[in-house]
Amino acid sequence: MTDRPLPVPDAVSAPYWAACARHVLTLPRCSQCATFTSLPDETCPHCHSLDPRFSFEEVSGRGQVRTWTVIRQSFLNGFDVPFLLVDVQLDDQPHVRMIGRLLDGPETPLQLGDRVVVAFEDVTAGVSVPAFALEKAA
Amino acid sequence: MSGEFTARNKVAIVGYAQSQVVRRGTETVGMTALKTAQAAIADAGLRVDQIDGFVAAQSLPSAGAHELIDGTSFVSADWLSRHLGTQPSYCVGFTGWGQLSGSMSMAINAVASGAARYVLLHRALYNPPGKYGNNPMTEARNERQWGVPQGFFGPIPPIAMVANEYLRRYGGTREVLGRIAVEARKNGARLPWSYWYGKPLSLEDYMAEPLLNDPLCRFDCDIPVQGVGVVILTTAERARDMPHQPVYISSYASGYPRNHRIPLHWTLDEMEEAGEDLGKRLWSAAGFGPRDVQLAQPYDAFSPFVPLWLEALGFCPRGEAHRFIMDGGIDSDDPRSIAAISGGGTIGNGRLHGVPQMMECYLQTAGRAGERQREVTNAVSSYSSPHLGGGAIVYTNTP
Repeated sequence: MTDRPLPVPDAVSAPYWAACARHVLTLPRCSQCATFTSLPDETCPHCHSLDPRFSFEEVSGRGQVRTWTVIRQSFLNGFDVPFLLVDVQLDDQPHVRMIGRLLDGPETPLQLGDRVVVAFEDVTAGVSVPAFALEKAA
Repeated sequence: MSGEFTARNKVAIVGYAQSQVVRRGTETVGMTALKTAQAAIADAGLRVDQIDGFVAAQSLPSAGAHELIDGTSFVSADWLSRHLGTQPSYCVGFTGWGQLSGSMSMAINAVASGAARYVLLHRALYNPPGKYGNNPMTEARNERQWGVPQGFFGPIPPIAMVANEYLRRYGGTREVLGRIAVEARKNGARLPWSYWYGKPLSLEDYMAEPLLNDPLCRFDCDIPVQGVGVVILTTAERARDMPHQPVYISSYASGYPRNHRIPLHWTLDEMEEAGEDLGKRLWSAAGFGPRDVQLAQPYDAFSPFVPLWLEALGFCPRGEAHRFIMDGGIDSDDPRSIAAISGGGTIGNGRLHGVPQMMECYLQTAGRAGERQREVTNAVSSYSSPHLGGGAIVYTNTP
């Protein structure tokens, strides 16, 4: 059991969280202009369609660290501090950026542009939350 | 705003009042607002029944769990006008982000259009009981489901990430932020109404402070307080016959949201782009530029806003404000500097949401800053962030 705030899937986001539970990252994609966005809204932020009918499609989850912070005091319950949050620009659609915990740990030395790949934290039964890990050198 | 700002220098600030800034009130914030409003009206040489316009921004500290009660936890324009016993012809509240700059633009428009003759603008801040910003949520619904499950919540992580990207992209260390906090507290310590009156901060103490969200520590953040600021605005024509040097509004400009991201996910790129766009519109409307300005008061709720605003407003090229700060460019004890936090900002006063910036521009441009008085003809203040709906206001005493 965790005290971390758990996501509450809704009619729109249910496929996203179901995919996360299988450790698959998806992003909402506009059915009109086929552009990925950060989150499904009433309209598409790119083509401004009023009927975007977003579908969640699998993406690589690879990207570069644009910035980060180490959270040493959190205003949320359930998180052990410190932990490190990265702001990741995804290769799949460069204007889409995601924020997640870096699972390599809070003292990981980082540089702008470091390569990461999505990973998942299993926070409770059936609930996995996207996070990131440094990409291993080939 | 278009380049043809027809209200340029046609509206003036003619009086003000500033309450004591306290951690928690011994009276309701409504009572503080009433006393401050009466003082501002008297300062302008007016009677309460002459005030026919009321403008406020009433949105609040939202992170804590507290009940919203008009007059107790916030003060609407309606509440203030009713309790002062006036019958205004114009009474409105600004509801968006950019509360101070947004409500100021509504007050200016009301005077310029003739919707009201004398407009009272107030901003009242309340500090609810409990630990500010804590949220005991166990579930993340709606927009919160996209960031909270990862531990991303509140305004400090996003501005910390922006500050980290700024310092690593352009060079500069945590000492840049420390210089800002120390400057704010130095000036706030000289203000009798400030929460931090008589309590400056040393750079040594700043550098020794544990980090909250790297690279920020608590001294980079303003402290929640109760306090009220009020200004009275009227037309330039009426202002000529009033007791104080009028301070004319040369222009204002607001920013607007850019890419749609999860709540509070700010990016350096978007802040810079929105700021550059805002700066162009602001100076175009004013008819002059940053070289003609002797005093800048950029918003400082979190210290990293200061370099971003100095660049947005054209005082430094992009990526250069950290050097400008390290070289003493904001030092209020140097008469040649732009004294960017001479009014203490919110880090040096308490969390008054842009009121200290507006008030310092007014006082310095009106020649009413007392021992802090500088040679100022033109000044500029800013509020919030340009990518969030925040804005800037340009003042002059020589239209």
